[in-house]
Amino acid sequence: MYLNYLASISRYIPELLLVMLMVGLILIETTYANDDKNKRYIFITAISGLVVTFISLLLNLDGKSETIFNNSMVIDSFSTTMKMIMVLGTLGAYYLSTISKEIYESLKTEFIIMAIGILIGGMILASANNMLMMYIGIETLSIISYVMAALKKNDERSSEAGLKYALYGGISSGIMLFGMSHIFGVIGTIQFTGMAANIAKLDHTQILIMMPSFVLFFAGIGYKIAAVPFHMWSPDVYEGSPTPVTTFFAIVPKLAGISALVRVTMIFFSTASPLSVMWVGLMMVIAALTMTVGNVSAIGQKSVKRMLAYSSISHAGIMIAGLVVLNKIGIQAIVFYSMIYLFMTLVAFYITNIVQDKYGNDHFERFQGLAYRYPYMAIMMSIVMFSLTGLPPLAGFVAKWNIINSLLSSKFYTLAIVLVLNSVVSAYYYLKIVRLMTLKQPESTEEIEGFGFLNQFIIVAMTAPVIILGIFWDSVMNIAYNAKLFIP
Amino acid sequence: MINLGTYLGISFALFICGILVMVARKNIIAILLGIELILNASALNFAAYTKFSNNNIDGHIMSLFIIVTAAAEAAVGLGIVIRFFQLRESIHIDDAASLQN
Repeated sequence: MYLNYLASISRYIPELLLVMLMVGLILIETTYANDDKNKRYIFITAISGLVVTFISLLLNLDGKSETIFNNSMVIDSFSTTMKMIMVLGTLGAYYLSTISKEIYESLKTEFIIMAIGILIGGMILASANNMLMMYIGIETLSIISYVMAALKKNDERSSEAGLKYALYGGISSGIMLFGMSHIFGVIGTIQFTGMAANIAKLDHTQILIMMPSFVLFFAGIGYKIAAVPFHMWSPDVYEGSPTPVTTFFAIVPKLAGISALVRVTMIFFSTASPLSVMWVGLMMVIAALTMTVGNVSAIGQKSVKRMLAYSSISHAGIMIAGLVVLNKIGIQAIVFYSMIYLFMTLVAFYITNIVQDKYGNDHFERFQGLAYRYPYMAIMMSIVMFSLTGLPPLAGFVAKWNIINSLLSSKFYTLAIVLVLNSVVSAYYYLKIVRLMTLKQPESTEEIEGFGFLNQFIIVAMTAPVIILGIFWDSVMNIAYNAKLFIP
Repeated sequence: MINLGTYLGISFALFICGILVMVARKNIIAILLGIELILNASALNFAAYTKFSNNNIDGHIMSLFIIVTAAAEAAVGLGIVIRFFQLRESIHIDDAASLQN
């Protein structure tokens, strides 16, 4: 018994490290944060803690897939890869929060403490193997997110964003639980282990009860991903929150939700049954709607942040499209897409935030003539925008190509066509920024302090993967190919 | 005669009430109450299914966790509502509309 727990803990070190880091940061913050020069100890502790967590995840990657803590969690290479992407996203958002003026100086430590809390929730969600852990993961993720969205506490818009997030989050987690309770009633257990056999034993009436229950169940996860019927909160929250928080929301909760959705889909529906037909149909409709609504709504926006929010909705739709094929190729495409999405989102939000800090708002006009003053930054922004559109030879193209490849290999031609058409639509608003940066004259010649040497270097370093992985994508694709989902 | 159907009927009624409250009421506190109704409906479901059709106590554990997280969620939600009230002097949901353009 005890040995069993010790063995479980040895696979659970990354999460434990994060818990210790969070507690340690709270202690350091309450004890030493009065003095400004102690801030850098907090910075060093946070960065090194996250890096150590990343390394320990890397060590976990090659271990064998198994369930731990009495089947309540599963450690496999899929969940470990997704956790690594989430840790990198947290690192990126944390560095942005330290240079951003959007977050009050006195609250910068609280940002990283809450970010680590959300990261722990996301890790629980990514490796949940029963309904209880899934619910706990979603709630850990959500409850801290509400506070984080309202982090700029004297700003009306930020409080409003937190309020909307909390109300929508409460509604959708309640609906998800209601669906879960009926699934539990029919199947008789909350464990995912051996679920395929349980599903196969269901009779006709039970399947009829399960179908609406799964639709309700999808509400909770779909809300985290911002899939279409549950996307209403996303643009408002993304626009109202401080930009580093938006960066964080666009990466960590979204990818955690995607990995939970992948796991649920593969556990419940990978064997042929009427339920699986229903779920694939539902996912197809949701993927198509999410892509289309995200792209079409993004067209008329004035604020770059709101545009990026809608674009992240449409990217979630593309990732869901990789799910309908219900096989390994689709999952690998999703993992690869998440890696590329991480870098593209980080660069886009970094540049937006630095421009916004200078001018006080993030309207499209603020980007006018950026190419004449900061040519490198304009080039990086253009590269990322082309990559988000999905133009070769950039990494966004390879990522989209993988998803389309998986769709075509399973003969989902309609969805593939919808995806391609959506890329065309998205070109309009992505390239609008490129046009403003290059073809218009700058509004002023004032220097933007945020574009110091170090920040420019970091932005270039984060854009490098987008360029390099567009051509030499074999090595990273191998990581994605090795990301195998373990179904106990 | 109280059987599983009774419990499911009550919890379904609670669920519908919660949804109606959230859709119809404009007071933010009332919307938070609606969320509580929905969460309690599912907690009741879990307990009832455990009592009548299962031998394991999974559902009871789940209900306990739902109660705890509902409390946490209400605490955070009310905290944000207080902050919102201090800035806007209103708890009417229609006043939270500055982000739509």
